[in-house]
Amino acid sequence: MGFGQFLASPEIKLKVVTYRDVFQNTAQETSRFGEEYEKSSAVIKLDPKDIAKLAIKDGDTVIVKNSSGRVVVKAMKSDYEDSHAGIAYMVNSPWSNSLVPDETGGTGVPKFKNFEVTVQGAKGGKVTGISEIF
Amino acid sequence: MANVMEIYQLLPKTNCKECGKSTCMAFAVDLLARKVSVDDCPPLVNDAKYKAGYEKLSEMIAPVSGVTDTGLIVHEDKCIGCGNCVVACPVNVANDPLGAGSGKAPTSDKVIFKVEDGVVKARNVQECRRFGENRILCVACIDTCPTKAIEFV
Amino acid sequence: MSEYYVCTGCALLCDDIEVETENSKIKTVHAACRKGVARMKGCSDPLECTVDSENADIDFAIAKAAEILREAENPLIFGHGNSSSEAQKLSIGLAKKVGAYLDDTSSFCQGPVIEAILQDKLKTCTLDDIRHKADVIIFWGADPSNSHPRHLSRYSYFPRGKERQRGWEEDRTAICVDVRKSETAVICGDNRFYQIPMGGDAEFMDALLSALSSKVPKTSFGFDAKRILELANVLKKAKFGVICVGLGLIYSLEDLEPLFRLMDKLNEVSDFNLMPMVGQYNMRGFNHNLYEEAGYINRVKFNSETADAEHGPDFSVVEALRNKTVDAALVIGSDPLSSLPLSVSRYLAEIPLITIDPCRNLTSSKAKVTIPCALGGVESGGTAVRMDGVEVELKKILDTENLPDAEILRKITEAI
Ligand code: SF4
Ligand code: SF4
Ligand code: SF4
Repeated sequence: MGFGQFLASPEIKLKVVTYRDVFQNTAQETSRFGEEYEKSSAVIKLDPKDIAKLAIKDGDTVIVKNSSGRVVVKAMKSDYEDSHAGIAYMVNSPWSNSLVPDETGGTGVPKFKNFEVTVQGAKGGKVTGISEIF
Repeated sequence: MANVMEIYQLLPKTNCKECGKSTCMAFAVDLLARKVSVDDCPPLVNDAKYKAGYEKLSEMIAPVSGVTDTGLIVHEDKCIGCGNCVVACPVNVANDPLGAGSGKAPTSDKVIFKVEDGVVKARNVQECRRFGENRILCVACIDTCPTKAIEFV
Repeated sequence: MSEYYVCTGCALLCDDIEVETENSKIKTVHAACRKGVARMKGCSDPLECTVDSENADIDFAIAKAAEILREAENPLIFGHGNSSSEAQKLSIGLAKKVGAYLDDTSSFCQGPVIEAILQDKLKTCTLDDIRHKADVIIFWGADPSNSHPRHLSRYSYFPRGKERQRGWEEDRTAICVDVRKSETAVICGDNRFYQIPMGGDAEFMDALLSALSSKVPKTSFGFDAKRILELANVLKKAKFGVICVGLGLIYSLEDLEPLFRLMDKLNEVSDFNLMPMVGQYNMRGFNHNLYEEAGYINRVKFNSETADAEHGPDFSVVEALRNKTVDAALVIGSDPLSSLPLSVSRYLAEIPLITIDPCRNLTSSKAKVTIPCALGGVESGGTAVRMDGVEVELKKILDTENLPDAEILRKITEAI
């Protein structure tokens, strides 16, 4: 790692949209605690421009946090044709849910699909395991 | 077997869009998947300077149409078992209108696609409309697949 | 191999599933999608019967669960999306008996839409109607290719039906409105995909409304008016239209008014129905059962003396946990520690917690009492309600030592 660890990694603010994925859902049916479930859940999909801003590579781990929580997940380049810089995608999972704010305006419905986070390279930090989320 | 780059190299590479695709690369991809044919590229057919490319491509793309070598591949790791191809394939519809053709589990052995253990299994592939005497450029299973799990090479 | 079973992987409840068994395990599943197969083959870490993390026999666990509920002032009973209707009815009875908060996943999912349907505020139809008649299908904030994999092939796009004999290319138009180009959007095609910004749904609906009224559609995000007018034209010409409403739309709307307005207009100019894309296999069943019993679809608190129900956001699982108004919880067929914001669900770990589920999950790992139940539709039968409100009979395929969820609830109720 060497020199890099003394430099602060750039940090950017992003909006997160969550979605469903059939492969992750399949893994969940088999086991909430399995490797497959973590692999398909603990991921954030970023626009190539945001990946560049973060000075990370496709597949590096990143710290995603806000006032509700903090998780380390894998950053992946999204494969959408249209640029969506400033917006990141996370599959609906305990990892995304640990970042959903508890504000509801009294409606009983949190903002599951639309919340803000800051993202920063984790410099090789390990992905948060499901049992560590709590 | 040809790959996309090889095909691309033989195209005019001018991105003229006359074929209706945005780039020659896009045309190459579709050509590989047999969604279009070599003759769908007007400059390639009409312009003498692309004659060599045209001939080479016609040779590369043609041989697959043999009835035995159907070239249908299901990428099982991508398939989600949604059954879109099962219900959309015209052969499935013709041979099993009340089962597969109506959205339900196939009730006939003469279908091409069937979902088993969550992924599609292809059989009777010789029945596929892309092959045989009256072949047509059917893309029903390719276009309806959400994960691009079906490919013809 | 001649009998058909029902898959409980999602609220489509596909009823054309054949299975091959070997050594009382499911070996091969036919016709179900990938996630349905995973559901039917069962999980790799089954729940054990425990009290305070020690293995316990079922009678002791049931007695302990009854004790927790008896002693609590304000217990919460939550879950039900993956429970049979029989279990749900017993849950309602139990909640009455102990004066509990009672809620289900619809509280933060499709609840508002189902409520409007049950109150006749939204026109709806069955999935079979869609297969036989629908010519214009809109997936709005919904990506069935991931959430309900067989939706398009069984009902909404590809199959032939009575009035749709010629196949999807000629007979049906599928349209997708979403904030991202989902797999479903790709199938609908670029011409038929309307990508809107996050939170832009209400505005887009009103713009579409203008277009349907032959006014110029305007949005603050500058959506191409021509394309909206084009869409309005397609919708006007529909003989039998459907809007399949997903969570993306529901979460984006402050209230359902824009949806009501659009549906009213669409039914003025043509014929449109709404289909709620319910996730868990019997969430709609819970809404029906509670509605019949108490006049509300979710979010109630029963008074143990009068058995009257109070209803409102304050009695939702989210507010109850957020405001810490409950002091014990029974979770059945659900994993709120995974599916709710951690900031809300964390409180569950601080109170006496009971889980009933076939499998281990995050919630069970924090529970004081865990009781394994039979897997619905595989190890136990019962009834469930499909996303369109049609009741479906589940059949048992395999034997198990675990009791069905309904049986466990009956025993707990008796022990109180
Ligand atoms: S190309 Fe057409 S006929 Fe051949 S398998 Fe695919 S859908 Fe069926
Ligand atoms: S359409 Fe694609 S994903 Fe669906 S069953 Fe066929 S191959 Fe699999
Ligand atoms: S679509 Fe839903 S009900 Fe049908 S097989 Fe898949 S998971 Fe099961």
